[in-house]
Amino acid sequence: MEPDASIETSSMIRVAVIPISDVTPLLFREYAAMLLRHHTVSLNSISSFYTEHQKSPFAHQPWESGSLRFKFILGGSPPSPWEDFQSNRKILAVIGICHCPSAPDLRSVVDQFTAACKTYSSSLVQRCFAFCPGDSQLEDGSVKGSNLILFPPADRQTQEFHMQTMVQDIAASLLMEFEKWVLQAESGGTVFKTPLDSQASLSSEEVIKAKKRRLGRAQKTIGDYCLLAGSPVDANAHYSTSLELTRLTADFFWYAGAMEGSVCALLMDRMGQKDPVLEDEVKYRYNSVILHYRKSFIQDNAQRVSPLSFELEATLKLARFLCRRELANDVVELLTATADGATSLIDASDKLVVYVEIARLFGELGYHRKAAFFSRQVAQLYLQQDKKFAAISAMQVLAMTTKAYRVQSRASIGPSNDAGQTHADGGKVHHHSIVSLFESQWSTLQMVVLREILLSAVRAGDPLAAWSAAARLLRSYYPLITPAGQNGLFNALVNSAEKLPLGTRCSDPALPFVRLHSFPLHSSQMDIVKRNPAREDWWAGAAPSGPFIYTPFSKGEPNNSNKQELTWVVGEPVQVLVELANPCGFEVMVESIYLSVHSGNLDAFPVSVSLPPNSSKVITLSGIPTKEGLVLVPGCIVHCFGVITEHFFKEVDSLLIGATQGLVLSDPFRSCGAAKLKHAHLPSITVVPPLPLLVSHIAGGDGSVMLYEGEIRDVWISLANAGTVPVEQAHISLSGKNQDSVVTVASETLRSALPLKPGAEVTIRVTLKAWQLSKTDSDAAASKGMPGSSVRQAKDGSSPLLLIHYAGPLTTPGEPETVSAPPPGRRLVIPLNICVLQGLSFVKARLLSMEIPARIGEACSMQAQLERGNTEQVNSSERQADRLVKIDPNRGSWGLRLLELELYNPTDVVFEAGVSLDMENTNNQENLSDNISAEYGEPKTRIDRDYTARVLIPLENFKLPVLDGSFLGNSSQNNGTSGSRNNSFSEKNIKAELNASIKNLISKIKVRWQSGRNSSGELDIKDAIQAALQASVMDVLLPDPLTFGFRLAKTSSDDINVDSDVTSCESGDSIIAHEMTAMEVLVRNNTKEAIRINLSIACKDVAGENCMEGDKATVLWEGVLRGISMEVPPLEEVKHAFSLYFLIPGEYTMLAAAMIYDANEVLRARARSDALDEPIFCRGPPYHVRVSGTR
Amino acid sequence: MIVCLAVVGHENNPLYIQSFTESDDALKLHHIVHCSLDVIDERVNNPKKSSPTINEAFLGLLYPTENYKVYGYLTNTKVKFILVTTDLDIRDADVRNVSLLFFRKFHAAYVDAVSNPFHIPGKKITSKTFRERVSSIVKSFGLSSAS
Repeated sequence: MEPDASIETSSMIRVAVIPISDVTPLLFREYAAMLLRHHTVSLNSISSFYTEHQKSPFAHQPWESGSLRFKFILGGSPPSPWEDFQSNRKILAVIGICHCPSAPDLRSVVDQFTAACKTYSSSLVQRCFAFCPGDSQLEDGSVKGSNLILFPPADRQTQEFHMQTMVQDIAASLLMEFEKWVLQAESGGTVFKTPLDSQASLSSEEVIKAKKRRLGRAQKTIGDYCLLAGSPVDANAHYSTSLELTRLTADFFWYAGAMEGSVCALLMDRMGQKDPVLEDEVKYRYNSVILHYRKSFIQDNAQRVSPLSFELEATLKLARFLCRRELANDVVELLTATADGATSLIDASDKLVVYVEIARLFGELGYHRKAAFFSRQVAQLYLQQDKKFAAISAMQVLAMTTKAYRVQSRASIGPSNDAGQTHADGGKVHHHSIVSLFESQWSTLQMVVLREILLSAVRAGDPLAAWSAAARLLRSYYPLITPAGQNGLFNALVNSAEKLPLGTRCSDPALPFVRLHSFPLHSSQMDIVKRNPAREDWWAGAAPSGPFIYTPFSKGEPNNSNKQELTWVVGEPVQVLVELANPCGFEVMVESIYLSVHSGNLDAFPVSVSLPPNSSKVITLSGIPTKEGLVLVPGCIVHCFGVITEHFFKEVDSLLIGATQGLVLSDPFRSCGAAKLKHAHLPSITVVPPLPLLVSHIAGGDGSVMLYEGEIRDVWISLANAGTVPVEQAHISLSGKNQDSVVTVASETLRSALPLKPGAEVTIRVTLKAWQLSKTDSDAAASKGMPGSSVRQAKDGSSPLLLIHYAGPLTTPGEPETVSAPPPGRRLVIPLNICVLQGLSFVKARLLSMEIPARIGEACSMQAQLERGNTEQVNSSERQADRLVKIDPNRGSWGLRLLELELYNPTDVVFEAGVSLDMENTNNQENLSDNISAEYGEPKTRIDRDYTARVLIPLENFKLPVLDGSFLGNSSQNNGTSGSRNNSFSEKNIKAELNASIKNLISKIKVRWQSGRNSSGELDIKDAIQAALQASVMDVLLPDPLTFGFRLAKTSSDDINVDSDVTSCESGDSIIAHEMTAMEVLVRNNTKEAIRINLSIACKDVAGENCMEGDKATVLWEGVLRGISMEVPPLEEVKHAFSLYFLIPGEYTMLAAAMIYDANEVLRARARSDALDEPIFCRGPPYHVRVSGTR
Repeated sequence: MIVCLAVVGHENNPLYIQSFTESDDALKLHHIVHCSLDVIDERVNNPKKSSPTINEAFLGLLYPTENYKVYGYLTNTKVKFILVTTDLDIRDADVRNVSLLFFRKFHAAYVDAVSNPFHIPGKKITSKTFRERVSSIVKSFGLSSAS
């Protein structure tokens, strides 16, 4: 039984190729390869070497088209007992191969070759090819005439040509030898025997029988030689004779042999053409061959020898001949029959050959599973031999089956696996490996195969293969393996690793399972922002703009939303979280694990981990990018169980997907109790050149700043460049909640410090103003009764964020200018942790009016102020009224309006509150505002804890100097609805103007507070003031159309100006009874039009405070001056002098009043009268006059 | 006599394998079932000559091996039923009728089993009811073929 048997085998001349002297296997193989190319030599080409010594027995030799075929047997083979039966089994030629440099003595080479040829008694031609002879060897004449042929050193082509010539020479010699042999055999009495013929002494009867049979056998053998000589027609003639003869002698074995030969001759004659008729013929004849081989079975010597192997061989030859998909049924039938027959084969090696052939034929047919099944049978036969070489063979055969069983080693799959993953349109990911997961459920078979590979590898002494098999077994089938079995595999891994050199790599990963957990994002301190060089604000547009997660407009562009993108920076350490799982019952010591980087631009740092039985762990793997470009992190390199393996994330991902679909036995991570993890995608990672790195530090600690509501404080933030590239651009912006609490940011300081060199530092000032706690916050704080409860404020993200976008130079110095995308910038987020505590709280605001009549003849300084117009300031604070309240001597504080603010201090510190009015923007004189700020900055209201205090704000300052129609406009129609008059202006601009002036008014009122040494702030009470002023804003803002004032006229004769009046006033005299008192009434027109009036002045003695208003006042003395008609020009003052003569000393009240003629609309509106013809009556404030008695 | 029954999914993944022999030859039967997929693959890929009508689910005798004969049945969803029997001494036409009847019954049982809302398609069938039902079908088949 021989491997590779086919029908044509009968026509092949068997040539032994043996190494002579010292030839390294590699060289031998190389020289033999040169020889093997000449397996077919055409008769045409050898005719020049051929000389016809006698008449050739091959009468029909096709010299033009025929050829001789060689079967080179490297290393030779022992003679077969069936040589006589099938001549092609004889070694008919021997070719020695010698490498001259390693065999200096050519004589000994010749001797060795001659000795070697002795073992091939059947050989007819011997040649020894000596390659690369030295010059001395070439000249050595001693070997002339022997079989040694020297191949002079030459290039390969020449050598090949030389070789071809030599082979043709051999072919010609063989042909001549065949002729000789045939001529001899026809005449001579050669006896042909096979092991089937009984070896024992033949009985006389048998001898006669054998003689009878001899002729048929001789004819068959001659036919064989004809076939070898490449003459099928001659062969056929001899075979026909042989068939006749053997049939007559019932020599079935030889009959079958002759029939086989005839089929071969038929095929040779047809020159490889195949047609259905020929096929049927071959099939028919071979079936007869098989039948006759079976018939030749002799029970006697069945124990010793049997023609079964020839029967099977014939079956296989036929199967090989038919082996095509269309004829699969026939072939399968033949092969099944062969397989059944093989069980009764005696010789183990025969059995092996049969199984090998069956497996190969099935494989050729595309029946991979069957091929694998028979390969396994082969492997089992090998394993039964219990030899190392057999074990190696078993291992190799099993390795071939792994594909069919889907347990192949990753090394045999090759790198094409990477292309298996495709992204389908719907974003659904199809893993190539998932399909293979389906078939990986034949776990019973797969485990058996892997176990056999492990066994054979251990026996064959291949530790790497053993390690790989154990790793695959453990990794894929751990749930089916008992803990004891797992430990066994663990030991197998460790034992194999001990035999392996340190640092051996294996393509098949063992434990642990490694999956990608996540990529930690850059901390907000070192966020990377894409730079848009076209824009001034280059960071804009990099981040998704707008509140929408999904925009319909972005649909057109290639959307890989599940692919996040990561940017790493050269030189800055990066981290990747991976999760390891060990689902087995032993502890896994991972000696080192680090990221596997195929792009080679990341230095990964190894980590050592120990995983207890049935556990999982998330670990951080880090590395430093070294070069810009794309980074590919397909998995991890793991050094575990003494071998280095690469674990791909993708494989575990598909394993996990398979687990969810029920295709895989179990999810190793879940069985270890790891949390369920969303499928983490491998992002595309880009490494960019070094960037600057700003590090912020808040002076006074990074903790939160505790501020009372409204408190204003400066915070110093120092920024240092910790990178290796200068910061060339920087921009500060605000984000987050409560952005208005940041009053100013000294961005100029930062800008002026640019470029910020590596290592440089800059400190910027940020002014903060604490915001107001919302109602609920303060309530909650109050209910808890402790101010500390508002620490919560800092946590819930109500603090503003300071965003600093910064970037390095646009191009790196070494790079050419053509860089398309500039290096990205960065964003530093500095959270301004503000913890707002409840501070001074506002309770309510109220509008008060004060009614204290002015006194005539008070201090002169007041008169001086009077001269400046009636917009002068009279303010009061309740406590310091005496010192601070200045009352218009002409007008008094009659109708003076004050805003009262009630403040409450709920904290446990003392607050001091003060009111200031910022008058910068008013049309008041500048010196006046200076004056005021000086005067009002000082007084403070101290508010103790848990106390309430009131602060008064005078509003007189805000009176407009002129009563202008623009404010009232067409209000005459609806001036009856006084409460909502400012809402009812139809013209928007007027309303807006009014609102603006109200706003202006309100914004000028500032309640500043101070607590302790370094807390100060401002109370935000704008809304409260507005609410308080809402109703009477007109009265506060607008002046009366006419104002009246009284004064003493010192010298009635001359009209002195005010300044001299002030000086002459020094004497400070008072009014005395029984004297003529010269007085003046001053009427000022506050409108822009002249007003004609009828002025009247009344003087009453005072019994009560308010004698003017009530009817019930007891009036003892009264005098009225009436009917003074005058016209007051616009915005001017008119003086009317008069004299009074008091009879009785005491207190008197003087009151000026005027009747306005022809009032215009403005006046009407101001007076809130709706009747057109109704006279407008205008009245001044009361003035007190103290009349003393005699001097 | 029926030795083994197997259901193999459309991706050639085994869904159900049950053997009805006392001896411990599960591995051998697994191999037989696994190898029979070769023949099914071939018949599915070259349907023209193996099945006379297109809608024929019954694949007939797949291949004889050792002392077993393997029959196949292919559903519309490419789920394969594989039946391994010991040599039945019945003529081909009889085998065809009987085994077709058997496969129809088995198909119904399979459809009922995978109609279970808790069954995940592609996962191995672990239903006890299915197992019992298959056993009873096999038993009745053994009786009917014997009679």
